[in-house]
Amino acid sequence: MFWITVGLAASTMCILAIGMGYMLGWANEAFHVEVDPKITAITKVLPGANCGGCGYVGCGEYAEAIVLAGAPVNKCAPGGASCADAIATIMGVEVEESWPYRPVVHCAATYKDRLGRHEYRGERTCRAANLVTGVQGCTYGCLGFGDCASVCEYDAIHVIDGLATIDYEKCTGCGACVEICPRNIITRVPFKADRILVVKCSNKDFGKAVKDVCKVGCIGCKACQRTNDLFKVEANLPSLDYDRYNPKAVDFQPVLDRCPMGSLVFVGKPSPKDVEAVAHEELPERVEADFKTTVDDSDWWG
Amino acid sequence: METIGSLILIAIGAALINNFVLHYFVGICPFIGVSRRVDMAFGMGCAVTFVISIAAFLSWTFTYFILRAGAPVTSWIWHVLRPDSELVPDLSILNYIVYIFVIASSVQLVEMYVRKFFPALYKSFGVFLPLITTNCAILFACLEIMKHVSGASDPSQVWGLDKALVLAIFGGLGFTLAIVMMAGIREELDQCDVPKALRGPAITLITAGILALAFLGFSGVDRGLAALFQ
Repeated sequence: MFWITVGLAASTMCILAIGMGYMLGWANEAFHVEVDPKITAITKVLPGANCGGCGYVGCGEYAEAIVLAGAPVNKCAPGGASCADAIATIMGVEVEESWPYRPVVHCAATYKDRLGRHEYRGERTCRAANLVTGVQGCTYGCLGFGDCASVCEYDAIHVIDGLATIDYEKCTGCGACVEICPRNIITRVPFKADRILVVKCSNKDFGKAVKDVCKVGCIGCKACQRTNDLFKVEANLPSLDYDRYNPKAVDFQPVLDRCPMGSLVFVGKPSPKDVEAVAHEELPERVEADFKTTVDDSDWWG
Repeated sequence: METIGSLILIAIGAALINNFVLHYFVGICPFIGVSRRVDMAFGMGCAVTFVISIAAFLSWTFTYFILRAGAPVTSWIWHVLRPDSELVPDLSILNYIVYIFVIASSVQLVEMYVRKFFPALYKSFGVFLPLITTNCAILFACLEIMKHVSGASDPSQVWGLDKALVLAIFGGLGFTLAIVMMAGIREELDQCDVPKALRGPAITLITAGILALAFLGFSGVDRGLAALFQ
């Protein structure tokens, strides 16, 4: 009895396996979908993280977009340059140069530059302060409550003297600060060199209206546009055309001289000149916070 | 009248009163995972219904003819080999394995079909389509059928193919109903001001709980319907 039961069980499973195998094999042929072999090759080369950083839903989507829709091959941030090269080899195209995208805070006003500040007793986050009028005169610029600093996981952005300042040594370009700023004054800019020129103001008002609220805001005089055609002034605010920006070919000193408010600034990693300038000074030891002993500054207000 | 009545009772029981997702809490993975948009949810509901029907059909066939105690095929083979024996062959130990086998194959079939004929739907499902294999709703339907086929106390109560298929199809339709309702609610919730702590899975689970509470209102309907048909 035992052996016959075992035999019956084994033969049932075998017949089931063979039957299902045939059916699935037939279905595989009948429902076959033609897939361009380049798509499978590119999908294998991509990191497979499905992070969505390239702008497509997943790595498979991006691979299809490259082969079928001609998307640029260097959009994968986690894959980096090696991945872009591999894809370019598969597709038989040249890789254009790609630069790291880093955030830039478009505001230059510290506490002492901001006029029209009033006492604010509300929730100490930028998102809350943004909803209220009267916190400071300029309604476009940095509020300084540090939403960006609290969301940064790399300790790369800090509110120094009321102004959000980015430490480009630590910044990885993840874009968390870009998303969280309620006034949208942080944008992503391609860093074609270690230090690039940016417009450090977001104020869209003109002339006296700006001077009433800020000592260093852009007044929309268009002097930069007249001096150098890389600048385009829209709504009293200049923007730089970073596609044509070439740090080595253009000398920006004339434009920097013409700007009356000093709104054009170079940001980036410290240049050799700056490093040399402080080399002889004794900088204080930087005390890193040991969170076991300091107060936890998470924003749970009870 | 009696058979149609019992079929209707099984149908309404599976779809509304003992809804697979909201009463038995099986099949929650696609319920939470695919219910972001109504069209995707409806597609997933249809896929699950299709897979449940195929799986129920195949598992009923196997259970009735081969796996239960005293099944026709195995009894015949047994009597050919041991004509004088009084014992009854019982292969019901193979139930779970056979059900999983059958479900996995039917899911693979459906996956290939969807990929060929509805490529946009296939892409939007992503990983949730092969996850139907591990979806306990389908195994649950098969086990319910098993309960009434090999677990039936006397032979007249054994479920035929009609009852098994009705249970499966209407169970799938009940799942579709629940997931589409969930998708509708979630689409509305996207426009609402959900507190930050509750956004995402939290409010979804709370909504699912409230939906389950609402479906509790159907309990007792089966007794009323049974009285109607008897």
